[in-house]
Parts: sequence; C-alpha cells; structure tokens
Amino acid sequence: MRTGHFKERTAQLVALSDSKVVWSFAGLLLALVLAAPFLIGNYQVTLLVSAMIAIVGAVGLNMLTGTTGLISLGQAGFLAVGAYTNAILMMDHGWPVWLSLPAAGVVSALVSLLVGVPSLRLKGLYLAITTLAFAFIINHVILYAEWLTHGPNGIFVSGAKVMGVDLQRGKALYYLTFGITVLVVFAALNIQRSRVGRAWMAIRDHDIAARVMGVDLLRYKLYAFMVSSFIVGIAGALISLQIRFVNIDVFALILSIEALAIIILGGLGSIAGAILGAIFLSLLPEAIRLFFDAFADTNSSFYTTYVYEIRGITYGIVIIAFLRLKPEGLIGLWRDVRKYWSNWPLAY
Amino acid sequence: MTAFLELHGVVKRFGGLVAVNDVSLSVEQGQIYSLIGPNGAGKTTLFNLISAVFRPTEGRILFQGQDLTRLPTHALARLGIARTFQNLAVFKHETVVNNLLVGMHSHLRSGPVAAALFWGRTRREEIAARERVEEIIDFLEIEDIRDHPVGTLSYGQQKRVELGRALAISPKLLLIDEMVSGMNQEEREDIARFILDLKDELGMTVFMVEHDMGIVMDISDHVCVMNYGRKIAEGTPAEVAANQAVIDAYLGSSRSAA
Repeated sequence: MRTGHFKERTAQLVALSDSKVVWSFAGLLLALVLAAPFLIGNYQVTLLVSAMIAIVGAVGLNMLTGTTGLISLGQAGFLAVGAYTNAILMMDHGWPVWLSLPAAGVVSALVSLLVGVPSLRLKGLYLAITTLAFAFIINHVILYAEWLTHGPNGIFVSGAKVMGVDLQRGKALYYLTFGITVLVVFAALNIQRSRVGRAWMAIRDHDIAARVMGVDLLRYKLYAFMVSSFIVGIAGALISLQIRFVNIDVFALILSIEALAIIILGGLGSIAGAILGAIFLSLLPEAIRLFFDAFADTNSSFYTTYVYEIRGITYGIVIIAFLRLKPEGLIGLWRDVRKYWSNWPLAY
Repeated sequence: MTAFLELHGVVKRFGGLVAVNDVSLSVEQGQIYSLIGPNGAGKTTLFNLISAVFRPTEGRILFQGQDLTRLPTHALARLGIARTFQNLAVFKHETVVNNLLVGMHSHLRSGPVAAALFWGRTRREEIAARERVEEIIDFLEIEDIRDHPVGTLSYGQQKRVELGRALAISPKLLLIDEMVSGMNQEEREDIARFILDLKDELGMTVFMVEHDMGIVMDISDHVCVMNYGRKIAEGTPAEVAANQAVIDAYLGSSRSAA
C-alpha cells in the first residue's frame, strides 16, 4: 500500500493528479499511441481511428447523460449534424477542413438548443423519447432537404487538405483524430473538476438542492446540451472524414444505442469509463473476428452470413453480463484491480 | 429600520388546501429563530416559501428590504440565504468535498470555456474555493470522510455534510429544516453546538424548523408556533412554553376533550 503521500499545498488537491507515477504512465501511454502507426499495419490504424472517434463521441455523450443525468437517445442525430455540416461546408462551399471541422461542432451545439430548450422540464424516459424524436426529425430533414443534403444520395467527402497534407489518409487522419481526442479528454477532465462540472452533477443528483445552492438549472442544462453536442458534432465530422461518405444509413438509430451502451459499460459519469467503454466496444467486433479466425473459419458461410447478428448478440450478452455482474462498468473493474494490487499481498 | 427577514401576510394555497394562512413574522439579525408546530402545521411549506422553492399565493417576503417572492430560486444563494432540507437532499454520488464545493457555486465565476482550459483565474478560484471548503470541513469535524461518496455515509454524517454545503454559501441567513431528527443524543448536541458557534462567532442569523423541544428551548432566542397554517404564538422560549394556545395545539384543548 502506498504511504507517505502527503499534500502540502491546496493546489495539489485541485490538480488532475499530483502523482508523478500517474503522469509517467499517462505519458508512456500517449507516447505508445503516438508511435503506433509506425508499429502496426494500416488496417489496425483504421481500427484505432474508429476507436478514438468513438472515445470523442462517448466523452461528449457522457457529459450529458453520465454527468448531468439527461438521458439522450439523440446521439445519432448530433453525429449526423456534425458529419453533414462538415461534408456540406467542405464539398459544396469549399471551406478548408480546419474551418469546417470546428464549424461542425458549433452547428451541432446550436442545433442542440432546438432539443435542449423544450427538454428543460423533462427528465428520464420523457427526455429520452424527446431526444429520440429529435434523431428522427434530423433523419427526415436530411432525406427531404435535398437542396442542402443531397437527400438519399449522400455526399462524398474528399480533399481535406491542410498545407498539402491529405488529412483523410492513414497516418494524417490518425494524428488528427489523436490530437482532437487528447484535447477533448483534457477539456472534459477540466470541466469535471470545475464549477460547471459540479453544477451538472448537482443537477443529476438533486435538482432542487442544486437550485438552492445557486445553480441556474436552465443555463446549466443548456450548457450541458451545447458542450456535449459540440464534442459529438466534431466526432461526427471525423466520421465523415474517415469513411469519406455521408448518407442517412451511416447514422442509424443503432448508433445512439451503441453510444449509450459504451458509457454504461464504461461506467456512467466517468471520463475514464467512457474511454474504456469506447475502446472495448469498438474493438469487440475485431475480437469476435479473431475468435472465429482462431477457432473456426471466417470464410465459412455461417460467419459471413450472420456476421451482424453475431455482433449484435455479443453486444447484448456483454451488456447484460456487465449490468448483472459489474454495474459500475469497466471503470469499476479497473478500480477493483488497482485496489487489489495496491494492497497486495494483503487481502484487503 | 427594516427587519432582517420580514414576512407580511404570507398565504400559500395548494388548490383548496391553505397550507400557510396569513403568516407575518420578523427575524432580527443575529437571532436564532425557531419555528415549531405539530405535524402538518405548514412549517416546511413556509420554509419553502422563504427559500423561494415555492411562490406565495399572497403576501411579501422581504430579506434586508428586498422582495424574495419575485426572485428565481437560484438567486437566493448570491443574496446570502442558504438552507438545508428536511429529508436528505445531498448529491449522493459525489464526495463530501464536491458536495461542499457545489455550495461555493455562487462565489465562483468560470463558465464552460474557462473551465475546459482550467487556467489562470479558474485555477486560482478553484484553489481558493478548496481552501474555504477545508475550513468548513475542519469546523464540522468531518476530516476523515472528506473523500467518501456522500451516499455511503451514515444519516447523521449526511446531515452534517448538508449543513456544510449550506455553510459554503457563506450565508447571512441560514435556514435549517429539522436537522436533528433521527440523530442520537451525541449528534444532536454536536449540531446544537455548531449552530451556537455560527451565531456567536460568525454572527449568522439562523431560522430553524425543529421538532426537538430540548434544542429549541435551549438555544433559541425567539420561538414562533404554527398550527393549521396560522401563527398561534410567538415569544421567548419560556413565554411560548407557558402559552395556553401552544399547550392546546400540542396536547389538545380541554374543551375539545370534553
């Protein structure tokens, strides 16, 4: 067990971590992720990009659902708004990607006010249904506003160049996504330890008490919607860059469910949990493929026919198993492991 | 001179039920003012009216001359009015420190963008807030539980955290709703000591609803008694204890018994 770890200044209590060990491990991890594209194949790099985009989206949703307690089934809608904003600005209006990417976040944040304002008096399931309706409305707008979105045809996204570097190619996209992920995670950690994050948690745990403590519910719920949607919008824009094409099928309702599954699996309200959950669920299909590779034939007609069903069923089993056995999620599992090793070899 | 807190003809109706009926009272600065009465007398409703959780149907509530009845609930913290709740209303998933820091909300300034950067002023004000919270933790003697999630603490400890959270507002007027119910003798005495300290050392004005007559009679400067939504008596603890209307309200009058 660690002993002799004293705080001598209040600043140490406010810091993200004042432990050299934690920072060294974080630095090591970052260095490893930075070096990864040179160590692994192109396919794995693509997988990691998807995982990092999932992290950005999950951290954004976690602010709204995990921290503020406002359950959202509108994640797919906000992702679509971000992706389409980026695609339309880049392809139809010729904006450079370094402008269209933040613009995707801003537009998504503004659109979130449309669902945020009527949702202020709603909680729990009622809010979930409202956000679900929002996702459907976005779907319809995309399908029928052909002058803007090209309707069912979708938009091909290409030519995201900054100073001659194509940001949609392998390593460039990887480092762009990596940079944004690191920024988003640090911003989220900072908000969580500040006045705004605490106001959100207060709203989640007891909204009347929060008001009595001086928290303006209206303002802080809208902040939660806007900050969350800004981040999710950026994740959507990154998706449009990665898959080079946006249309309505990319942003199906199942994305909203998967996003909720990610933050519940990771551990609601925890940023580290959202990260773990995003990595876990985005690499799970790959794990299934490897499993079939090892123990069966991935070219078999069974696997190729039922690949989506197998994936869906595995998701379901994993989620049920977690809710039943470890409701605190992956972050709870991690805490148990950490506690076990910090006390080792004692049993408690 | 206007009183510190004044209620003029306050009425609150819920449909046909008149929960608070034409109550006027005035609290002076630095007093410990107790509100007592049988169950259902309208004490907690009156409390919710003063803390702007409810709006009165009629009447005015003045705090240092300012009308509270038109203000949003969240504006009261900035005026220096804090309250605790009859049933626990802590932020149960958060640590004790974070609960207390929420109380500092109206003293801090950072918006979402400044919070995301956590630089300069934001960092400085967070450090200052944390220092203030440590003082409160010290005052309430809850050092050993400061990093525990509040939901895991005992009832008495949670009540103490709730008091601490209210103190983090640095209130001029502290409203305490049945703080000691469900506490053991030792915990009750601790709370009574804290309230006296707040009055004597910080000059805080305390307005409390309390069922525990021992505490009410021991530490109050002024007692007000309610029954069926009306004020039926007020005065010093001794005066109130000798008042026939009060004795009738609590024990039943001899007329109705006959």
